[in-house]
Amino acid sequence: MEVHHSLGTSTDWIVMVIYFIAIMVFGSYFSKYNRTTTDFFFGGRRFAWWLITMSIVATGVGSHSFIKYSAKGFEAGFSSTMTYMNDWFFVPFFIFGWLPIIVYTKIRSIPEYFERRFSVLTRFFATFLLLLYMVGYVGIGFLTMGKAILPLLPPEFTLFGIHFEITLMGLIIVIAFIVGIYITYGGQTAVIFTDLAQGFILIFAGMLVFVLGLDYLGGFKVFWNLLPTEWKLPLAHFNDPPGFNFVGIFWQDGVAGSVGFLFMNMGLIMRFMACKSVDEGRKAAAFNILFMLPISAIVVGNAGWIGKAISIANPSIVPPTTNPDSIFVVVANVISHPGVFGFIMAALTAALMSTVDTLLNATAAIYINDIHRPVKKWLTKKVLTWKEEDKQELLSARIATVVFTLLGVLSVIPFSKFPTVYEAHGYFHSTLTPPLVTAIFLGVFWKRFTNAAVIGTLVGGVALMVMGMYYPRPLIEIFAHGTAYDPSHPYTYIGALYNLFVCALFAVITTLTTKQQLSLVNKIKKNNNHKSIMGAFIVTSIIIFILILFNLLPLVALLILTFVMVALVVLASNYYIEYNEEEKTDGLTVWSINRAKEYFKGSKINDREGEKIRVHWKLKDGVDDSIHFSKSDMKRMAAEVGDLVYISDARKYLGGLKSIHSVYGEPHDEDGIVYISSEHFEQGQFVKGKLLIAEKEM
Amino acid sequence: MILQSFFQSWLPFIYLYVVGGIFFFSGMYIIIKSGSLNPQKKHHKFWIKTLLGGYFFFLFLHAFLIISALYL
Repeated sequence: MEVHHSLGTSTDWIVMVIYFIAIMVFGSYFSKYNRTTTDFFFGGRRFAWWLITMSIVATGVGSHSFIKYSAKGFEAGFSSTMTYMNDWFFVPFFIFGWLPIIVYTKIRSIPEYFERRFSVLTRFFATFLLLLYMVGYVGIGFLTMGKAILPLLPPEFTLFGIHFEITLMGLIIVIAFIVGIYITYGGQTAVIFTDLAQGFILIFAGMLVFVLGLDYLGGFKVFWNLLPTEWKLPLAHFNDPPGFNFVGIFWQDGVAGSVGFLFMNMGLIMRFMACKSVDEGRKAAAFNILFMLPISAIVVGNAGWIGKAISIANPSIVPPTTNPDSIFVVVANVISHPGVFGFIMAALTAALMSTVDTLLNATAAIYINDIHRPVKKWLTKKVLTWKEEDKQELLSARIATVVFTLLGVLSVIPFSKFPTVYEAHGYFHSTLTPPLVTAIFLGVFWKRFTNAAVIGTLVGGVALMVMGMYYPRPLIEIFAHGTAYDPSHPYTYIGALYNLFVCALFAVITTLTTKQQLSLVNKIKKNNNHKSIMGAFIVTSIIIFILILFNLLPLVALLILTFVMVALVVLASNYYIEYNEEEKTDGLTVWSINRAKEYFKGSKINDREGEKIRVHWKLKDGVDDSIHFSKSDMKRMAAEVGDLVYISDARKYLGGLKSIHSVYGEPHDEDGIVYISSEHFEQGQFVKGKLLIAEKEM
Repeated sequence: MILQSFFQSWLPFIYLYVVGGIFFFSGMYIIIKSGSLNPQKKHHKFWIKTLLGGYFFFLFLHAFLIISALYL
């Protein structure tokens, strides 16, 4: 495989440095909008859908990066676009199921949902698995960034007489240092705005590569005719080769990946939560998946297609043996002039930075919400004011970001053993997402899914997944749809179907047998030794899990023991944790969305449709949270005292940056005027003399 | 050769929109049945059209790309 070094000129490096400084200054400007941890993590829930859509482009494109899709485009052609065009199937579940629940119940992290829907123990399991998922994702981001920048650097250099060899890991550590500094001081608002700028720049840069590439080849017709038919097909071969086939990628990316991305990726969910309302979040998600993802598919994959065409037309310029993970950089260097190449590379690395900083921000949010707060509550009895507590949490969030950055760097080590970033990401998704995906999905859409069932699903699912890794052939082969067995990386993608199946299997069995479990637990409780029996159940379960984890018995014995372990775990869960279905599903499943809305508002919903109105603002005395409109303005908005209201600067291009949420207070008689407090003024950063737009939220 | 082409063109297409369609229409059924998406509400009618439109948009887009690759 051809390895490249020292691509680009000094002009390219100057352009790259200027780009990075500009984007960091731009992001730092918006950090002034981080007044609380809510602003730091969620951007204050104030933005318009179009702003969030564009900011998601940088996150999505960064994570499903130029490097991996160009690599697959170079190896397989237009089918590299598959993963960008298979997300629509789960959009109904997301925009009318998960999104309203997570916003209306004011849940700040996914593990918190697990506690409210199930129990504290389930929250603990979910936190552990989710942090593992997020840190792994950060690791994939660092690996991709390292692979993107490495070809630009010389293999070694000398500084002050000391000789340095540039390695992938060394480079990743330097990158992590820069990313860590940026996110630690920026926060979510800074991330949203730098991502917004980068979303536009990325699409421009990706399209620029395509246009320059077509020009280099002699036009679209030449390019089209150079590629063989199978390279032009948008979907890969059904089940061949094992390293890239349709059916495996459908289950790994289209199902586990899509649900994981929409339901589990806290970075993405926090973006939707930064929208001013649920409906704006829906618009952002729908527009992104319908239009931005297909465009992004071309933007990120085209360098591979151009590279393939050049390798057919002129193999001496782009050899067919070029390392696929370097093809983007190689093609960009071949087709562009000095300076332009620097700009493209700056846009690419900045996009990857966006992905990583979004994930790190989300990971810190999980840490604060699911570890810091519960542990602090447990350890200390000192009562702090709201402001003191928020200041302390902001500091802890920044420290946590640094720690997770380090863990992300460490997680690069196992991923770097895969032939391409695409395969590493695919394997990561197909193994880590299924248990949590199944648990969240069934928790939201199946009212009967109990606490014992979710624990049984996580424990049993993980056990059978571990066995799938030890015994891929006998266990996964029947799900493989004819995909050949590759001993070095067995069933990288289709393993997701097996993993989803085993998790769902335990979920269904343990839910449908709830009555029998409860009656058995009641019988055990009547026994004088019930505490010892339960203790024995737990010890036995731990022993079985260790036997499975280290593969200490033959397959058949392990399979039988898995079912025994799940039965014991489920009985112990029912014994120790009281689960009330009515209480635990109220407003927390799709079947009680209106209750979630009422919880959000704190009173009955006012669903009457009203107008948006334009008003001037004046400061009022007092610091209470309500704002005051005239009686006729309230009538136009179909609002009543106590309803929720959103007001923002009327200049639409600000996308809600200068805005607040509040509550309607008692009306007055001055039409076209709204009275706000000084706290509202500071929070919304409103400008004197500028009009505001007001609308009723609910 | 024909079988090879079917395995790389129409078979993945059929699988994608049948199996994917099962997930998609189950989702539509659940959100309507639960009342989260209410076809009686004017604003929700827009969402029903958008969701169904999105499914067929991707279906036709993939069909168009396959036909272009095979015959153009």
